[in-house]
Amino acid sequence: MKQERPKPPLAALMYGEIVYWGVLLGSLLAIIGSVLAFLGDNYVPVSYWLSSIWQGESIYQTWEGATGSLPMGHWYLSHLTTGDGLTALGISLGVFSVVPAIFLSAAVLFREGERLYGSLALAGGIVVMMGVLGLAPMP
Amino acid sequence: MQKTKRARKGRLWSLAFSVPELTILIMLIAGGYLVMGVFSRVEGTQVLSPSAMWLIIVGSFLISTAVAVLAVIGGIGGGVIFTPIMLGFTHMDSLIIRATGLVVAMFSGLISSGPFMKTQLANLKVVFYCGVPITIGALVGSVSAIYLHDALGAVGDGIVRLSLGILMLVVAYFLFTGGGKTEYPEPKHIDPLSVKLRLNGSYWEASLGKMVDYQMVRALSGGILFVLLGFMGGFFGLGGGAFLTATLNLVMAAPIKIAAACSGVLLAISNATAIWTYITYGALIAIFAAPWMLGQVVGGILGAHLLIRIRAGFVRKILILILLASSFKLIVRGVEGAFGIQIPIL
Repeated sequence: MKQERPKPPLAALMYGEIVYWGVLLGSLLAIIGSVLAFLGDNYVPVSYWLSSIWQGESIYQTWEGATGSLPMGHWYLSHLTTGDGLTALGISLGVFSVVPAIFLSAAVLFREGERLYGSLALAGGIVVMMGVLGLAPMP
Repeated sequence: MQKTKRARKGRLWSLAFSVPELTILIMLIAGGYLVMGVFSRVEGTQVLSPSAMWLIIVGSFLISTAVAVLAVIGGIGGGVIFTPIMLGFTHMDSLIIRATGLVVAMFSGLISSGPFMKTQLANLKVVFYCGVPITIGALVGSVSAIYLHDALGAVGDGIVRLSLGILMLVVAYFLFTGGGKTEYPEPKHIDPLSVKLRLNGSYWEASLGKMVDYQMVRALSGGILFVLLGFMGGFFGLGGGAFLTATLNLVMAAPIKIAAACSGVLLAISNATAIWTYITYGALIAIFAAPWMLGQVVGGILGAHLLIRIRAGFVRKILILILLASSFKLIVRGVEGAFGIQIPIL
């Protein structure tokens, strides 16, 4: 007798789909951003970025030569019309897709009465959000 | 021979139609790189010519795709290949390498989360239970990396290279011995916490043609280990998928396929926490990291869909050689940086 495969839980499906499509959308933005960057519309010139890191300059020297200081925040959000800003947004969006995926998955788990796992998902999501918001103390 | 060629061509065609988003993505990337090459307005510098810059971008994408495929087949995160090689063989700043290493480590895991959740190879309960300790460890690890870099400068870089070199020897050993992994572990004693957490499940095992039930154990020790693994990933900028899989399989008794899938999803979650520290600090140079990200996405999907039948043993041997070479170079450069001793090798 052939065994029937059970359907995956809704919370798992939701998590997987949000992350998958979020990453693909982020990739699309990263491609557009990279093309724009090479066509010359940039916050910091591509030639400067690549030459500086290729030479082995430290992260401080690289940013100091580009903008005067380390960005210490989501610098790209105020430079979304530039190539490097859009590329950074694409990468960040791909990474960020984990956040709505975890929280929506947690909501589904709570609705299905899975309070323990809903709470664990919520706790995990809060830790990720701490990273996103830069709440960890920096030197 | 011709039959094999035809079968491979057929698989590629069926993949192009069954995953149209991958086909569109590859076409967009190819078109984008073509436009970047032909219409580039980037000016040359004393260090790099415009064509060299274009080659760095396209080369990074191609290498990243190959790394993702190798990593998927070898069952380890791409960061384990990228970070040691770049730290050992280039002069780039270690924070930039570690930030990009997290991108390499996480994106193949992120993109495979969808298929793994659909096929139930990734168990959501395991992911969310282990997700809390691993994200805490990853956040602390990434912040510690910035502190060490800030406080110790070149000596700190030397310490990072040296400890990563030693860690890579351990990963190579794991790959060499197989870590004593068992396909379907049968735990003799189930602890009350694992029962309370309902760390069990079932999945469709295609090779057996039936559903396989499993019960995981040692929830507490597993949880503690995940804090350490998260710290290691966040600090060194690599995923350490081999360690995650081993912990889930050997300590918590998850079947190997479940362990590998859960490790991919957990790797993505923990790195998604750690990477923000590097992003907000400015250590992620987007224009350099983007081709590595795109290569991981394309290679991750390709690896998961196409290359399941390739012999993993051969790929593992290649990975062991890569890891041994980079760990040797890392240890040499680490000793030089940390203790100021010049070792006249390579």
